Amino acid sequence: MIKLKNINKKFGDLHVLKGIDEEISKGEVVAIIGPSGSGKSTLLRCINFLETPTDGEIHFENQLVQGQTSALNLYREQIGMVFQQFNLFPHKTVIENIAMAPILLKKCSKEEAYEIGTTLLKRIGLLDKKDEYPNKLSGGQKQRVAIARALAMKPKAMLFDEPTSALDPEMVGEVLDLMKSLAHEEVTMVVVTHEMGFAKEVADRVLFMDEGVVVEKNIPSELFGNPQHPRTIDFLSKVL
Amino acid sequence: MEFGFLLKYYKFFIAGTSNTLMLSALTVVFGLIGGIFLSIMKISPFKPTQKIASFYIAFIRGTPLLVQLYIVYYGLKDIPMFAAGVVAMSINSSAYIAEIIRAGIAAVDKGQFEATKSLGMTTSMAYKEVILPQAFKNILPALGNEFIVLIKESAIVSIIGLHDLMYNVDTIRGITYKPFEPLIVAALIYFVLTAGLSKVVESVERRLQVSD
Repeated sequence: MIKLKNINKKFGDLHVLKGIDEEISKGEVVAIIGPSGSGKSTLLRCINFLETPTDGEIHFENQLVQGQTSALNLYREQIGMVFQQFNLFPHKTVIENIAMAPILLKKCSKEEAYEIGTTLLKRIGLLDKKDEYPNKLSGGQKQRVAIARALAMKPKAMLFDEPTSALDPEMVGEVLDLMKSLAHEEVTMVVVTHEMGFAKEVADRVLFMDEGVVVEKNIPSELFGNPQHPRTIDFLSKVL
Repeated sequence: MEFGFLLKYYKFFIAGTSNTLMLSALTVVFGLIGGIFLSIMKISPFKPTQKIASFYIAFIRGTPLLVQLYIVYYGLKDIPMFAAGVVAMSINSSAYIAEIIRAGIAAVDKGQFEATKSLGMTTSMAYKEVILPQAFKNILPALGNEFIVLIKESAIVSIIGLHDLMYNVDTIRGITYKPFEPLIVAALIYFVLTAGLSKVVESVERRLQVSD
């Protein structure tokens, strides 16, 4: 569904991504792991052009994603994204956060959008927080709302950029549980994560990145149980 | 101290105060319009407009208001005195307001913009729905301050002969041979104006903080 061809990204002299080729199929859950500064978040951000690749092509459903703004916005509507820092809109209530994009972009009426929002809030168990402002929520609740906000656009794929890294440990579980349930519904997901347990249990495929390249990729049982590359072995020995 | 002159000359104070208020109010309006325009130029992705706006802001902030006032008054022949005051003050204030707006927008977390982009929103939607409402809360206190500064600085227009509060106070000092007391009255009037304005700003700020 998403095809990355020779993606390169340079920040000045810093070569962050060095020719990544990858294909993500429909319904697949891909976890990207690796040390800090390996380029995994940058790769994720390149997929929806929050960072513009210096070189390379991205194809979505067999069509080249064009760089101009209007085409890009249509593409981004179909790719949900969840951020480490949640990035909820603090001046809007929970339901307004979720309903905003459908109202603005899908020409939903307010009632329709609120209905979508209510259904999603029920699902994430936060219907009672519907009219609260985000700063009244815990970190885990914020992230669940952020996931609901992305889902409200009915995206074809979801990108997660270290969704649990900014959370207190006791709140990691509730967010991972929600992501697991999405994975079981065959939502296409690309997850940059430090949660090895999650990658092992939920991912269909795991990519290990280091210094801007995908060093090793495999099904989780193989990558975690029988890593081949010395850098993968070294990394896993430190985090597991 | 003796304030008997007030009975005879209070009308000078009233006329001066009303001119000062009118001048400041017009400057606020035009300065804000100019400031919004300049900050848009500065934020735009178009390099030449950025450069022009940056130079304008640097130049205006780097030269004295008095010089700007003289340049406007003597440079634009036949400009009415009051208009010269408004134009010079607006030119000056727009540069400061532009910086206030730019800084207020820059202070909004970058992640907010990224969130709107990731949802597929256009840049104008992002500004209208997400960035500006948050920037406004950053901008308002500084803008209120700028307006207060403006009322005080407006006293400088008395130099070109505009009959503002300061000019009229000077007139009274001349007529009554009292160099000191009229200044006390002037100071009190300026203080009431600025303190009143800061109360208004505070109450608006409080109302904006409901969602925080």
